[in-house]
Amino acid sequence: MSAERAPGLLAGDSLNLRLARRSLGLIALCLVLLPFADLAITTHDPWAELERMLAGLLHPDMLATESLPHAIALTIGFALWGTLLGVVLGFPLALLSPRSRLLRGSCAFVRAIHELFWALLLLQVFGLSAVTAIAALTIPYAGIFAKVYAEILELTPRAPVDALPEGVGRLSRFVYAELPMVWARLSSYTRYRFECAMRSSVLLGFVGLPTLGFHLESAFREGRYPEAGALLWVFYLMIASLHLWGHRRLLPWIALGSLFLLGPWPDIDGALLWRFISVDLWPKPLLEGNWSGLWQWFGEIPDLLPAIGNTLLLGLMGTAGSLVVALLLWPLASRHFGNRPTRMAGKGVLILMRSTPELMLAFIFLLMLGPSMLPAWLALSLHNGALIAFLVARHADAIVPGSHALPASSRYTYELLPRLYGGLLALLFYRAETIIRETALLGMLGIATLGFHIDSSFAYLMFDQAFFLLLITAGLNIAVDALARRYRPREIADTPGERDRPAGEATC
Amino acid sequence: MRWLVACLLILVSTAATAETFRFTAIPDEDQSRLEERFDKVARYLEDQLGVAVEYVPVKSYSAAVSAFRNDQVQLAWFGGLTGVQARRLVPDSRAIAQGKEDAEFRTYFIANHDSGVDTQGDDLPKNVQGKSFTFGAKTSTSGRLMPEYYIREQFGAPPKSLFSRVGFSGDHTRTIALVESGTYDIGAVNFKVWDAAVADGRVDTDKVDVIWKTPTYPDYQWTVRGDVDGRYGDGFTDEVRQALLDMHDPELLESFPRQGFIPADNDDYQPIEDVGEKLGLLR
Repeated sequence: MSAERAPGLLAGDSLNLRLARRSLGLIALCLVLLPFADLAITTHDPWAELERMLAGLLHPDMLATESLPHAIALTIGFALWGTLLGVVLGFPLALLSPRSRLLRGSCAFVRAIHELFWALLLLQVFGLSAVTAIAALTIPYAGIFAKVYAEILELTPRAPVDALPEGVGRLSRFVYAELPMVWARLSSYTRYRFECAMRSSVLLGFVGLPTLGFHLESAFREGRYPEAGALLWVFYLMIASLHLWGHRRLLPWIALGSLFLLGPWPDIDGALLWRFISVDLWPKPLLEGNWSGLWQWFGEIPDLLPAIGNTLLLGLMGTAGSLVVALLLWPLASRHFGNRPTRMAGKGVLILMRSTPELMLAFIFLLMLGPSMLPAWLALSLHNGALIAFLVARHADAIVPGSHALPASSRYTYELLPRLYGGLLALLFYRAETIIRETALLGMLGIATLGFHIDSSFAYLMFDQAFFLLLITAGLNIAVDALARRYRPREIADTPGERDRPAGEATC
Repeated sequence: MRWLVACLLILVSTAATAETFRFTAIPDEDQSRLEERFDKVARYLEDQLGVAVEYVPVKSYSAAVSAFRNDQVQLAWFGGLTGVQARRLVPDSRAIAQGKEDAEFRTYFIANHDSGVDTQGDDLPKNVQGKSFTFGAKTSTSGRLMPEYYIREQFGAPPKSLFSRVGFSGDHTRTIALVESGTYDIGAVNFKVWDAAVADGRVDTDKVDVIWKTPTYPDYQWTVRGDVDGRYGDGFTDEVRQALLDMHDPELLESFPRQGFIPADNDDYQPIEDVGEKLGLLR
């Protein structure tokens, strides 16, 4: 080919050139499709409301929320049990799934549906109970653990196994020669997942389960900002202090203690459960075998194609936006730049941005910019970009710089970025699936994505329609994940710490 | 084995009937300190009914409907449309009382002054066309169902083709905030929430004001499951209704907030059901 004879701009076969082509391709595709997005800015007079919000954040009212300790305890309890049961289910699945396509497909399916949608489904059967909350976390987490654990196990060094004498049983081999080699990675990922579960647990409150999010959403929605501010601070503190209270030895006790708070357990009405699974979830014409009726049923689903288009477009824009944000922000929290105070501040900003629920970010932008896809785009980009930036900064800190004499800009461009970029892109492509899942959430703000219609279907109690849209959403997520995996850089950059961490850490 | 399971089930189910009477309620404004406020209502009902009564805090009407369907609550304070939804899902359930204000409920259409829509006449002003518009929550009777009905009736077109943008703010208070800030030009809001916000000075009427008041329709009501007489004793439904009608303590009524309760029945909500079906929100 001509590129081989005369390498032009960006032509060539080196790793970094390939990465550059992929990133520019992503951004170019985003720019080409941008005209199809609804990005009108209708600025008006948001300042009064924003001032009230800021005042609330600066003067939080810690006493406004009733039974706050109970809500905190439940948030932790749901997260802990959701993660624990997710591990219990996910680990065996990780061992079995490399051998079964069906199993892998099922895992991909359950994790493709967002925790909140699982909650909305389970709510119909188990009501507002701990069963709903814990199962809504456990089901998708089992699928995620199955995938990430399997990836970690795949990387098990072979040497100890080869050193074993012949005739050692499969189980002994696994327990003595394989598991110890990957134990650190498995447990570090599990801890990370628990942090994700804390966030998800708060979000479950948004649909009515009694976690912090229950009070946070009401207070924010009704403009009681001092209370909302207090709850946000409590949430930030819980996440930031996780390393203090989330100790390995303490967690089992917390788990046991929280059991006493999780009740009352619901009486499950078998007839209702059966009716929900066998009748409510399916289109009536399908159950009656009425094919023309099914066509009519299909016709009543509102704007399916635009919704799919919006979902994909917003997902693409969010991914490209996250790339830009991550590139800009990661130096804020890295030891190679600034001094101690600026780094502390930088880290603080990144933690705030990645911990604040996207829905709230999106609402703030909605006030500032008016209704369009723009608020959702900004919220997705900032939240996910900050999350990736935080991880990239951690990777960067493991690099020992060659020359201290370089100015910061050269250090960034010539020394650090080339070594970090593969990892960054791997994280981003891993994240793409999550971003698509999150666009569904922002649908609740009135941006007509698939999630918007799923939320409506649940509100109108049209469970068959909700279920159908959920299946489509899951299918989209699986397709996007497959695409992202195809383009995800496999070559891991040469930073020491990076090899130990699966890219799966970008999945929440 | 089958007998064992059957016995066990009976045991479990009887254990469940020596039970507490549970209810839920979501006020149409100010959902702070729900438990503190409604526990007082629970104490009152307990005194009147002679059974243990518990309040279950719920966040959204769809969660309330699912709690009602799952028998986690036997009595619920629903909006007009959500009450119809709940009664369709739970056979034999009945509307027993409504607020004094609920027999003649209204929606106010409000507009930001900069939008240029500010005439207050007998109809929704013609020049709302092409403006941006927000409903409240998707299944709110006053924030969605009835305003959409009147929009379609007057303009013969769905909101989507009438306005430049149609949003769902999710809440009446938020509708007011979004129209006051000019994020949306026009909004549809529960008249009681608007009146309370104006009375408290929480809204700047130089920036946003009412442009049209809808005709009246029935809204919030108490709905009770059909099986409570069998479970809590004959005539229990009537006792519950009487207890609600006899609630006169302003502190209790403040929580809903209503001036008092009057009798109601399922037929009162036929108009809501008809409109819900017409708009495709019920099927």
